[in-house]
Amino acid sequence: MSAESSTAGLALRAENVTAGYGGDPVIRGITVSADPAEIVSLVGPNGSGKSTLLKSLAGIVRVAPGRVLVGGADLTNTAPEEIARAGVGYVPQVDDVFGPLTVRENLEMGGYLLRRSEVAGRTERVLTVFPRLAGMLTRPAGRLSGGERKMLAMARVLMTEPGVFLLDEPTANLAPKVAAELLGEHVRQLAADGATVLIVEQRARAVLAISDRTYVLGGGEVRMSGTPAELAASPDFVESFLGGGRPRV
Amino acid sequence: MSLFLASLGFGLVTASVLAIAAVGFTLQFGVTDVLNLAYGAVMIAGAFIAYVINNAGLSVWVGLPVAVAVCSGGSVALNSLVYTPFQRRGASPITMVIVSLGVTLIIEFGVQAVAGGTSVSYHLAQGPTLQAGGLILTAVQLGVIALSLVVMAGVHGLLRYTKLGKAMRATAANRMLARTCGIRTGRVITLTWALTGALCGLAGVVFGIDSGSFDATSTDVFLVLILAAVFLGGPGQAYGAMLGAAVIGIATEVSAAFIPADYKYVIAFVILLVMLGIRPAGLLGARA
Amino acid sequence: MNSYYLINLLIYAAVDAMACLGLSQQFGIAGVTNFGFIIFQAAGGYAAAVLAMPSDSANGHFQSYIGGWHLPFPLPWLGAAVVGGALALPFTFLVGRRLRGDFAAVGLLVTAVLVNLLVTNYVPLLNGDAGISLIPEPLQGVLNAATSGYQWAFTAVAVILCAGVYLLVRRLTESPYGRTLRAMRDNDTVADSLGKDLRSLRTGVLVTGGAIAGLSGGILVSYITTWSPAAWGYAETVVLFAAVIIGGAGNHRGAVLGAVLVPVGFEEVTRFIPSSNNLPPNLIPSLEWVAIGLLIVIFLWFRPQGILPERKRAIALPAVAADVQSGADDPQELTQPTLARRSGAGSAGPDASPVVLRADGLTREFGGVRAVSDVSLTVRRGTLTGLIGPNGAGKSTLLAMLAGTLPPTSGTISCLGQDVTALPAFRRARVGLVRTFQLASEFKRLTVLENLLSAVPGNRGDSLAGAIRGRRYWGSDELAAIATAEALLRRFGLLEVAGQYAGDLSGGQRRLVEIMRALMTEPTVLLLDEPMAGVHPNLARRIGRELVALCRDGMTVLMVEHELAIMDEFCDPVIVMAEGTVLAEGTMAELRARTEVVEAYLVG
Repeated sequence: MSAESSTAGLALRAENVTAGYGGDPVIRGITVSADPAEIVSLVGPNGSGKSTLLKSLAGIVRVAPGRVLVGGADLTNTAPEEIARAGVGYVPQVDDVFGPLTVRENLEMGGYLLRRSEVAGRTERVLTVFPRLAGMLTRPAGRLSGGERKMLAMARVLMTEPGVFLLDEPTANLAPKVAAELLGEHVRQLAADGATVLIVEQRARAVLAISDRTYVLGGGEVRMSGTPAELAASPDFVESFLGGGRPRV
Repeated sequence: MSLFLASLGFGLVTASVLAIAAVGFTLQFGVTDVLNLAYGAVMIAGAFIAYVINNAGLSVWVGLPVAVAVCSGGSVALNSLVYTPFQRRGASPITMVIVSLGVTLIIEFGVQAVAGGTSVSYHLAQGPTLQAGGLILTAVQLGVIALSLVVMAGVHGLLRYTKLGKAMRATAANRMLARTCGIRTGRVITLTWALTGALCGLAGVVFGIDSGSFDATSTDVFLVLILAAVFLGGPGQAYGAMLGAAVIGIATEVSAAFIPADYKYVIAFVILLVMLGIRPAGLLGARA
Repeated sequence: MNSYYLINLLIYAAVDAMACLGLSQQFGIAGVTNFGFIIFQAAGGYAAAVLAMPSDSANGHFQSYIGGWHLPFPLPWLGAAVVGGALALPFTFLVGRRLRGDFAAVGLLVTAVLVNLLVTNYVPLLNGDAGISLIPEPLQGVLNAATSGYQWAFTAVAVILCAGVYLLVRRLTESPYGRTLRAMRDNDTVADSLGKDLRSLRTGVLVTGGAIAGLSGGILVSYITTWSPAAWGYAETVVLFAAVIIGGAGNHRGAVLGAVLVPVGFEEVTRFIPSSNNLPPNLIPSLEWVAIGLLIVIFLWFRPQGILPERKRAIALPAVAADVQSGADDPQELTQPTLARRSGAGSAGPDASPVVLRADGLTREFGGVRAVSDVSLTVRRGTLTGLIGPNGAGKSTLLAMLAGTLPPTSGTISCLGQDVTALPAFRRARVGLVRTFQLASEFKRLTVLENLLSAVPGNRGDSLAGAIRGRRYWGSDELAAIATAEALLRRFGLLEVAGQYAGDLSGGQRRLVEIMRALMTEPTVLLLDEPMAGVHPNLARRIGRELVALCRDGMTVLMVEHELAIMDEFCDPVIVMAEGTVLAEGTMAELRARTEVVEAYLVG
């Protein structure tokens, strides 16, 4: 995004969230927070509940018990379309674009909540951030490569300039160079423009490099948290990441 | 040759009726993931509503918008009161099919209970016969074809150029993702059923006009033609339904020029079974 | 009450009950939704007709039909059953495929309509729309069919045959074969992984149901002496389905009840409605159809299990002291001889022990992306091997290829020296290579004990032929299986829930059931896909200890897991995968010390 536009970021808070898919809960009693202009990352081994936490913040998974607060407003268990209207942009890990729709139409759906007069301008702005998309506006999204789809997914969510970005493993299946560019440039810029960014990643090293704070999840709970520097210095970090650590009290 | 051209003419008319019906059916499936087998019954209900109005002395073209409105509202009710609750409970696709068969019985034989078992016809002057390049069609038949073309253009315009149309396609492609974009998919789905229900009613009246005479069970076989058109093009694909309707409509009528007329629908059945067996996603759907 | 009326009622009840029993077997027990069911009854009816009728030239061709061999009773009825059963064979094509359930159902429904259309229009075949009439009644030449004695005898035969079908269907269902059918209904993918041949099972069910339907058609035709397409449109199939759903799918008494309530009941109700000249003649029949439609929707909403739901099978456990709970730390010896049977006796030290599973150059591509790339590994007997790696490393894909759920793009797999690369999953299970699944995969509507019993290989009652021969034939195999299952339940501490539906247990308990069920197959190599996911740490440790004990006795386990603490405690060796290839192998402690392993996890 260009320097003139700045997003009013919204503070994000999950309080004591327990959630699952019916049956036993996947995450238990998780509390995380993220503030405007901050990049907060969630790392941890598979099955630790990172995606589930993000989904419960986006309104996709039912929270019981627990609270989800966006910009101070209680949005626990609100429908995803209303959470989007509250200024939350969510990029899922898979099924992140509308396959049968063209690139341009995907962006239009991203800008669904905008006034009609704003759509064209926003589209232009988003395309300056992701210039490669400009060359394939009429192509159906299902025909894009993996990296191009991720760009489109990010571009789509940029259309409304939300105050909160929830990104679920945006670099999954991307080549290392593309992943580095996505994280180092685009994600960093989101926070630089004032938005709150909560990002789930498998590539722990890469995401730690751009994070202000990090939570390490394991077994459905928060095992550790702190700044990247604090975590790197801690001997438990690698251990807890590889599953050997015990939950910190 | 003239027999061929005559049947080609019939084929165009059948294709026109089929196109309106098939597009409605396929959009319902696309956005709700349910094969609404009661579609044929709603069609014939629409045909009878127009008949009642026609029988009371008014023109069929006055009865048509009434039928369209009733079928539209009825379809919305059907989805909201029957299909959605079952789906919310996690009913399997098989259960949904059986439910839709039950609804078919209710509507179809409800119409028969009220209207009686005998065939009826509209009081409609066919108008002058027109000739064009060997095809011989009445004014009414040409009107049906023209109406169908207008409807297809309207559907195309809606899906490609309006926000609602794109939201419908997005909801059909990925409902949860659409919601995270802020789309109120519940409303989009209701509007889709209202729209396709209207198409269903329209198709019913036009079917009645084209058939000459009809009774409550007349759409039973027609539903198979709709299914054939839908699966040929690909379930959920509006343009596929149009293509399928053209092929099925013309193929069935033209085949009547070569094989005994009683068997003309067989080709539609065979196409449907072949598509289900080989390529259920249809010609325009994603590769199997 | 007029005796003619009663005879009519009983015969229709017998015929409809028979048809519903056949349909309930297919739909309720085996989960095969056969919307073309009516065609089998129709075929049986026509077969009986053309076998019993004289040649069509005999009466000057006023009806035209194929056949006409004027065969004496009971050959027409036998022919009806045979034709009904044989007709099922082409149908297996449509039902066996991996087609969406509702699409397949529509295909079958359309087929029924198509066949009706063809028979209606192609007159030389079966006299078209007019149908065949003057069908000879059984033993017509010898007995006087008009006497009430004959009519009652016919009724008695019909009812006896219906009872016979009831007993047959019950015998099939209450056998290990029936249990396998229900398992296939509940989760066909898992049944396949346990060694069940789905295609042959479905074919068997279609053929038996078809034969029963055919017989019912033959009896009906011999009674009413005419048969035309109007008697078997798609609406008749809907009526039968309504009957089975309302009566209770999967319950044989429910099927009979449904037949009495719906086809028969509706027919009878019309007699008692006072006829009035003010009402249009078709009003009552139309309202009947509306009522059937309403009943279908109402029952599916409020009582989908029907009036008489499927009963829970209570299987008596051998009278052992039930208060001796397991959960003790030392494993029981009871199961070891049986479970280690296939692994062979005597286990040498881990390094010298033979290779039981080997993969060479396994690769799997999905549209240009290599999920698994040239992986080779060996698994030795008696080891509990762990398979770990970050997300997207290819672990699940590798496991699926080893199990036969997914075919490799290239490479080979051998188990106990035998090349199994080309074997489908159910055959690999029979060779001793068995897997579990990541997501919940218990058979929900079977009890815990039935879940375990369903996995036992080699039970003589687990086939159509075996089931027909009855409990005397398979009883001892069943008792042996029950004993093995009971020992396992005791060992894992789930004995007191043995009689509960597996679907009603907690998550951790269901996991245990899956593992026990896999153990019942007496596997040589057990492939576990994240068995500890979502399981309480104490329970996970307990499972780990049991697995170690089983490996000590000759079984081999390969386990994909994320909970690396488990790897620490129980697994040796541990294989690390990343980005589709094997990164390293060793104990967990060794691996943690290797930088490339740590990097793989942190870099992703």
